Amino acid sequence: MANAANEVTDKSNSDNELIYTYNRELFYHFDKEKGFTQKVEYQNPNNQVIIKQSWDAAEQRLDEVKQKVIIGKSSPVAYYMEKILMEVPMLAAYMEISSWRVKRHLKSRVFKKLKPETLQKYAGIFGITVEELVKPEFMR
Amino acid sequence: MVKLEFEHRQAGHCESGVTRNLLNYHHFSISEPMAFGIGAGLFFSYLPFLKMQHAPTTSFRVWPGQVFDRATKELGVKTAIHTFRNPKDSMDKLNEVLEQGYPVGLQVGTFHLPFFPPEYRMHYNMHNMIVYGHDNGNYFISDTLMENLVEINYEDLMRVRYAKGAFAPQGRMYYPTHVPTGIDIKPAIIKGIRKTANNMVGIPFPLVGAKGIRYLAGRMRKWEKKLGPAKASYYLGQVLRMEEEVGTAGAGFRFIYGAFLEEASTVLNRPWLKELSIEMGENANKWREFSYLGSRNCKKRGKPDQSYDFLADILLEVADREEKIFKKLATIK
Repeated sequence: MANAANEVTDKSNSDNELIYTYNRELFYHFDKEKGFTQKVEYQNPNNQVIIKQSWDAAEQRLDEVKQKVIIGKSSPVAYYMEKILMEVPMLAAYMEISSWRVKRHLKSRVFKKLKPETLQKYAGIFGITVEELVKPEFMR
Repeated sequence: MVKLEFEHRQAGHCESGVTRNLLNYHHFSISEPMAFGIGAGLFFSYLPFLKMQHAPTTSFRVWPGQVFDRATKELGVKTAIHTFRNPKDSMDKLNEVLEQGYPVGLQVGTFHLPFFPPEYRMHYNMHNMIVYGHDNGNYFISDTLMENLVEINYEDLMRVRYAKGAFAPQGRMYYPTHVPTGIDIKPAIIKGIRKTANNMVGIPFPLVGAKGIRYLAGRMRKWEKKLGPAKASYYLGQVLRMEEEVGTAGAGFRFIYGAFLEEASTVLNRPWLKELSIEMGENANKWREFSYLGSRNCKKRGKPDQSYDFLADILLEVADREEKIFKKLATIK
């Protein structure tokens, strides 16, 4: 047990750098001699790797959707949804329409026929203008 | 303009921290682990059919809101809890309560929270923070995750209170209205322990409690073959994020719970609880070891002995230990 704990600190000092240093949080620790202690510190480097993994995965998903939009398979709604890390049920909740309708709007063919009001509402949720929604930056 | 005299204290877990800080404001001194333990916050569940950020949901805690609800109920503290359909109503009510001189706990979504650390800004709707005043459309916030006091404007606050998706807060606000003097915390501690013990070993359902940990271990062994290395590592990462990320104070609340047992043994004068708190502390360290080894796997540096089977074996060990601890705790009278 003690060895494993030592290894943890050694590793974190030698080859792991802190990625996120915006805010220090309170963490608890346990040691047989000292009992339970609290310490305000940055999230440890190993866990920061895990947090980064999730952002990297999101970036990769965004890239995949982008390609699909470029070849005209998906609509820009699919791209911007991924960009603000949403999934269909959540976007449907913000749009106040049912999930299956949002799912249809992800198709380029259906997207082209959307009413201006619907586009406006999507743009509002994504925090962009209607022009940006209809023609994303990477399509120009 | 209202600005209450509010003492900001950081905490490991947002909801138990909020509960403690609110009770402290009303001159009832209680520690964070105590609030967490009496509120019976510890849990485990693995829900493969419920996907969060494209991976199965693992949870180390009870339903949001339960810690505050249970802790205040067991302590005999009178509270007010509101949710609203109309966002504007929720803001009016908030102003009204602040003007009456009560700091207010809020459930919020973290994605649009401007002061939140950028790395945590995902769609997570179970965050809690305290509002202790407002001035000209600006609200004063004490967030137990943050080192310092922060502020937020009217529009942003309304937006985060009406975040949508799973566990949508719907403007949920809560605050103690009357804290009686001379509260006896002993019966509350015992009830809290029994509730947690029942949650962990008494529910005959395979996905929750100690059984849930074993179930996760079983699933984990198959991940690599079933999903391929990249997705398997993402799934593992998701478990670790839920265990170590925002507001678990490390090891999926196991450290906080150990600290609670230690304090409980002193308050109740029962040495056997102290022994169990040490067990719990070691158990928490085992969880931390699991997340350390797992994170190496996610970095694709896993040696052969850190295969998914090896990690699953650690989980089985942890499950056995937790089952033993909570079976003993269940006998408390």
